[in-house]
Amino acid sequence: MSHTVLVCDDAIFMRTMITDILAQAGFEVVGEAETGTQAVEKYRQLKPDLVTMDIVMPDMGGIDAVREIVKQDPDAKILMCSAMGQQALVVEAIQAGAKDFVVKPFQPSRVLEAVQRVLG
Amino acid sequence: MDLSQYAELFLAESREHLSACNQLLLEWERNPAALQPVGGLFRAVHTIKGMAATMGYGRVADLAHRMENLLDQLRRGGKTPSDEIIQLLFRATDALEKSVTVAVAGRERDADLSVLEAIDDAALQFRPAAQPSGLARLRPEPAPAPADEPSSSAPQVSADATKSGPTRAVHVVIRPEAPLKGGRAMLVLKKAERFGAVHRLQPPSAAFESDDFDGRLEFELETSAAPSDIEQALRGAGDVERVVVGAAAIDEAVITTGEISVTGAPNPAGGAGGGARSRHIRVDLRRLDTLMDLIGELVTERGRLNDLAARWIGRGGDPEIDDVAIQISRLSADLQNEIIQARMTPVWQVFDRFPRLVRDVGRQLGKQVSFRVEGKEIELDREILDELGDPLVHLLRNAVDHGIEPPAERKRLKKNPEGEIVLAAVRERSSVAISISDDGRGIDRAKILEKAKREGVVGPHVESLSDDQLLRVLARPGFSTAEAVTSVSGRGVGIDVAMTRIRALGGSIEIRTQAGKGTAFVLRLPVTLAIVRALIAAVGQERYALPLTYVAETVEYGTTPTTTMEGRDAIVLRDRVVPLVDLRKLLGTNGAAASPPPRRPVIVLEMGERRVGIVVDGMLSQQEIVVKGFDAPQGTLPVFSGATIMGDGVPALILDAAGLV
Repeated sequence: MSHTVLVCDDAIFMRTMITDILAQAGFEVVGEAETGTQAVEKYRQLKPDLVTMDIVMPDMGGIDAVREIVKQDPDAKILMCSAMGQQALVVEAIQAGAKDFVVKPFQPSRVLEAVQRVLG
Repeated sequence: MDLSQYAELFLAESREHLSACNQLLLEWERNPAALQPVGGLFRAVHTIKGMAATMGYGRVADLAHRMENLLDQLRRGGKTPSDEIIQLLFRATDALEKSVTVAVAGRERDADLSVLEAIDDAALQFRPAAQPSGLARLRPEPAPAPADEPSSSAPQVSADATKSGPTRAVHVVIRPEAPLKGGRAMLVLKKAERFGAVHRLQPPSAAFESDDFDGRLEFELETSAAPSDIEQALRGAGDVERVVVGAAAIDEAVITTGEISVTGAPNPAGGAGGGARSRHIRVDLRRLDTLMDLIGELVTERGRLNDLAARWIGRGGDPEIDDVAIQISRLSADLQNEIIQARMTPVWQVFDRFPRLVRDVGRQLGKQVSFRVEGKEIELDREILDELGDPLVHLLRNAVDHGIEPPAERKRLKKNPEGEIVLAAVRERSSVAISISDDGRGIDRAKILEKAKREGVVGPHVESLSDDQLLRVLARPGFSTAEAVTSVSGRGVGIDVAMTRIRALGGSIEIRTQAGKGTAFVLRLPVTLAIVRALIAAVGQERYALPLTYVAETVEYGTTPTTTMEGRDAIVLRDRVVPLVDLRKLLGTNGAAASPPPRRPVIVLEMGERRVGIVVDGMLSQQEIVVKGFDAPQGTLPVFSGATIMGDGVPALILDAAGLV
């Protein structure tokens, strides 16, 4: 059975791109979220194998969403999507419980490597 | 060797370090007991010294050298500096900044070095009696000197009873080309912690958050796991170049009593002193501008090629041309993206000087202000960012001067005597919003209204001003210069200037204010200037481009309920009344062209809370357009922000959403 993924990003463009990369590699994107709050809610509903999480999102940011999700499920596998220059934020996200990160602009191979590491 | 060609680079880099100095001094001023700022200051001044000496700027190098000397004394002394010393360092930093500037301008002899004496005096006063190693002091847990045993004796690993397992020294190097090395280091650490307790982490994990982190870390891991297992797990953090577990990096010979003295550890104060070289080069901004212009031309030609290909195939031509056209489209889009990315600059490059500014203005005026910056990492086109500095300075000064009340007044009002100003950058759809908010007294609408009436800015029957109207009144050139405003709350100083600048960049300003609670200005700016996605609309024979940034939706006129609002036609969209602007009427196209089609599209523009529907004759396409500067002739309607060349080579005007909404 293929792994299920929840894609969280406030930009449709990014969600589409991540979804395409993952779908081509045989993953099943079961849900998308535009805000941290949605991410937490959908995680509870969908219990995906993997979450990709943008850091800067309106409403509730990605890092707070990681905290909430890990509170519910300490084994949650969350992959952060960050931009260059977000060093401190990425470090914070990992301390909050994120399992790995990729840096925009995304190269499919790098994304898939990170996904493999997280699902390990 | 001709050094003048490096002058600009020297200036740019020195400014970065000086900006860092100011940041560090502010940090130190807030927390004089902290040890980190002095290390950073020392490094920055040291770097400037080296560069200035290379450039042959002897006086600059000398000033930097004396500052470095004082900082070194402070660092070695490890004492909490007095406020006097910190103020001296602020003055010295200013003097250094000025001397750098005049040196680059070829007038180094004009540099004012009067601060030197005070620096030397202070350095003398701080000279410590004994001289412990400056390095050891900066280490979080300086190891006591190894016991009497000479380090050359046979290795003796003592079985320390308090430890659950043997301690292994671990040395990890993240790949030099990996982005955000600090994040990788944190993952390594997390993985290591699963094996057991981590001690003596070098550098401390706080360093992972810095962009200066060079990707080398060392620690001791208290575990009984096999080295190969540890290594494999740590490599799982990704981008790991090298992992050494319990081996060469640490000389076991010095392990004597369970205390491990780490040799060859990276100097925590030295940052990138090691072998890792930055993979960045500096490029003259003008080069990027030229590249951008060329890409612009390419994008235009790409449009023409697509049109030609379509026509050619339509006339029975070889469809292979389509493949070529698509390929060229894809490549030029990639190229364009890369260039845009290369121009993107995080806002901290401009924001970083503001904490110092706010502090200085606050001190001058006797106000207590805490200043917070959010969203430092948000990126904007370099050109926009450069233009943004002055308007932000205006708005921040105003916030301190006229927004925040004096401490006594705040106490009386049961507010925290320390006022708060927040500068925040947030990425929105395709724009960036930058807000400056204070928790001060807010703007007195009644008084502004009174004044506006007296000057005939608004009609005599207006009873209150909305936020929008308020801003429009405040932003009238000259409105603010009158005495009454300064005695009210003084907003308006420079708002017209700021507003003009922001509008010229294709952005907008919004104001929100509440008496007694504070004021917020929100600036909205496009992420990049050069290329925008736009909706191409037709009116009569002409085409107009509307940047998609501000297009909320499109509807059809005639199928939506219509009404009027303040005498203007309006439509009702989901219970909201949206006023309409008919481009035909606005541009005077009526009569000149064929009569309008019966059903006309309405493009709803949205800017902050405001919306307006633009009625056009037809919508043609959505496409990327290259924005060209536009020198509007006198008397042109103030609704155009630029021009572009369409795929067929015919120019089209770009409508300025801010002017229409």
